[in-house]
Amino acid sequence: MLKIEHLKKTYPKSDRLAVNDISFELQPGEIFGFLGQNGAGKSTTIKCLTGILPFDSGTIEICGHDIAKDPIAAKMEMGYVPDNHSVYEKLTGREYVNYVADLYKVSLEDRNARLEHYLDLFRLRFAVDRQIKAYSHGMKQKICIIAALIHEPKLWVLDEPMMGLDPQSIAEIIAYMREHCRKGNTVFFSSHNLDLVKKLCDRVAIVNDGQLIDMFDLKNNEANKANLEERFFKITGTYDKRLFEDYVAQESADMRPDLPTENTDDTAVETEEK
Amino acid sequence: MKQTISWQSVKTLFRLDLRSRKDVTTELTKKDKAMKALNLVFGLVVYALLIVGIYFLTRMFVVRAGMRIEFLTIVNLITIGISTIVAIGNVVKNLYMNGDNELLFRFPVNGTEILIAKSIYCALHNLAVTVLITLPFHVVYGAITGAGAGFYFASIAMILFSTMLPFFIANLVAIPVMRVVNAIKNQFLLVLVIIIAAICGCFVLYMTALSSILEYLADNNVNLFDDPTIRENVMKFAHNCYPFNWYAYLLAGKIHAGLGAKEMGLSFLYLFLINGVLGVSAFFVTTKCYYGTILKGIETEKQSMVKLVKRNVKRSVFGALLHREFFLIFRSFNYSFQYLAMACAAPVMVYYCNALASAMGTKSVGTSIVPGLTLLVVVIFVTIIVSFASTSISREGNVFYHTKIIPVSFTNQILTKLFLYGIVGSVSVALCCITVAAAFGTEAGGNLLTPLDVGMIFIICELTVLAQTCLSVWADIKSPTFNVGGDGELVAANKNVALALFTGIFTAVVYGVFAMVFSFNGLAIGKLVIDMQPAEVYGVLIGVSAALLIASASLLFVNLDKRYHKIVP
Repeated sequence: MLKIEHLKKTYPKSDRLAVNDISFELQPGEIFGFLGQNGAGKSTTIKCLTGILPFDSGTIEICGHDIAKDPIAAKMEMGYVPDNHSVYEKLTGREYVNYVADLYKVSLEDRNARLEHYLDLFRLRFAVDRQIKAYSHGMKQKICIIAALIHEPKLWVLDEPMMGLDPQSIAEIIAYMREHCRKGNTVFFSSHNLDLVKKLCDRVAIVNDGQLIDMFDLKNNEANKANLEERFFKITGTYDKRLFEDYVAQESADMRPDLPTENTDDTAVETEEK
Repeated sequence: MKQTISWQSVKTLFRLDLRSRKDVTTELTKKDKAMKALNLVFGLVVYALLIVGIYFLTRMFVVRAGMRIEFLTIVNLITIGISTIVAIGNVVKNLYMNGDNELLFRFPVNGTEILIAKSIYCALHNLAVTVLITLPFHVVYGAITGAGAGFYFASIAMILFSTMLPFFIANLVAIPVMRVVNAIKNQFLLVLVIIIAAICGCFVLYMTALSSILEYLADNNVNLFDDPTIRENVMKFAHNCYPFNWYAYLLAGKIHAGLGAKEMGLSFLYLFLINGVLGVSAFFVTTKCYYGTILKGIETEKQSMVKLVKRNVKRSVFGALLHREFFLIFRSFNYSFQYLAMACAAPVMVYYCNALASAMGTKSVGTSIVPGLTLLVVVIFVTIIVSFASTSISREGNVFYHTKIIPVSFTNQILTKLFLYGIVGSVSVALCCITVAAAFGTEAGGNLLTPLDVGMIFIICELTVLAQTCLSVWADIKSPTFNVGGDGELVAANKNVALALFTGIFTAVVYGVFAMVFSFNGLAIGKLVIDMQPAEVYGVLIGVSAALLIASASLLFVNLDKRYHKIVP
């Protein structure tokens, strides 16, 4: 679905490699988490694979199409949700989604059905015919997600998608990520939320200082899930025993009885999906 | 609950306001400093030209017509009128529409303190505008009439006094003006029509005044006020032009109209009462409504257009890109003004400029100059319209990433932009040519232009539109500046606009001079005389324009995808 090999990227007027020889491959039907500190190279990698940034060397293939050699075919298979939710504010939500649907050549029947579905799913029907400039942060994020999904992309890329969203919207997006993958598609997203990654992802990669340091399974691997935080903190060089224990304690259900347990949360999401 | 005013808070808010207007965070480079100095020099030159115009106008009224008080009355009408319009805009912008209101309300200050601090700025701004507009009139008038020192002291007092009226009126009408602006801000077509009407109206007024002055300058023997009816009407108008004539009486009533103490005293009393009533009304209305109005403004800031057609529409890729590009311009006040309104108003502007230039040129040189002048004028206006294309990439702003992720080649995206700019430019050129053909190519217009002239001017301008558009887009791809504000619009025009304007005006001058020179006896270089027929002149210009188009299109399209891909916001 997505194959990155020996990707290297340096920004103009900088000697530092923002992405240094990163390689990995994503399979159909998996949710892949991309972790790292601020400035580790997550967003740069995502911007390279979406075609936003040129890169120095390496290859990126999306559904077998090389993004450098055959960018149009590669982009056709992909939907991207940026971290800053920037959209054309002068257009209405419907106009924006239609604009994107036109570019991806989505038929009128398909876009009607999909838009109706997403408007209900993300509770945005009341605002879809208003100009986007009147939208709140979360509403802009939702219209970006709808536009990214309107052509049912095989690869759905999200850059820190949960930032600034309310819990209801986060649950809706999580549910839809799972539904999208069940259809044989792939979700690739970056996040700072380790707890979310642990619950949601089948596999995870941790980058630090532009390099891919670790990549491991989370699906059906309780040991990896259990020590995700410790691995992350150690890899990123931010491991401090006291801070780490505080962090784990905060996430622990014993310390936060108000939070739902993992199982309850999964059940809630599953109920939502039904 | 009665609010007490802390003057310390007012002082702090005022200083904060002044600092926020001055960009202290950016260190100026040598280039920036040079540009600033150049802008200052340019401003001074324009102001000097304005003073020269005022000098001739004053001589026309004061020396030739002997209408001193009438002149001062009309000057007061104009200067106070301009000051009032500027003050209304300033008060609306600073008191009610400024984005810092929400921020200021978080501070431990009350609405009245914010109002006073901002009002001080508005009053000072108003004073500066009034001084800049009025002082040249008074100084020139004093110099021409040989007035004594008393006149100049009276002038300073009068300027200070006359700043009050615009400021009070502005405060009174700002609230209804703002409500009208809020009501129509999403009526994009209506806004566009109003902008076009305003541009055309102002331009027609300006050109009419300019042509009168130039006519006077061109023939000193002709006196506008030789006609007794005109003279009588002007005097009648000035004597009934209240309250502006009272300002004139106070300024020079004694020395130039022989008014007594009673008339002067009554003039002062009337003005004092008018200013007093307006000032007290403005104070009560503003202090009562300010807090509520800006709170409403904050609440409805994000009020936006709601589309009534609520169905999905399928378009081709080209249609979708074109639709988006057009509506992003159409739904922006700034972009509509810079581009669509200018394109629509261009024929009117071309007509008036060409009429004036042709009249002057025909008088001094002959009718042969008209086709060359027309070409010059049309290309200049085309350049102004097309310069908008030099922000075509920068205007993407924060959404620039979107142009990179969509499955449409960069070349096709640029072609769509070119198509839109080409269509708007071409329609504008066609309308300009139809206008000049109707005005100057008919029997009634003196047959100053032949069908060949109009046809050739149209072809040359069309080629120039396309060449200029390609060049402008190329410049913006080379160095875009994604400096956008909160609403996603460019904060200021970038240097590419200046480049586009410079190259366009340079082309216009070269084309115009070439056509004018060869419309007479040709060009003589020593013993060599190059003489060309009109068709040959146009042939050369079409050839040059076509070559420029090919060159600029090559510059834009060769390696376009590669260069576009390298743009990093």
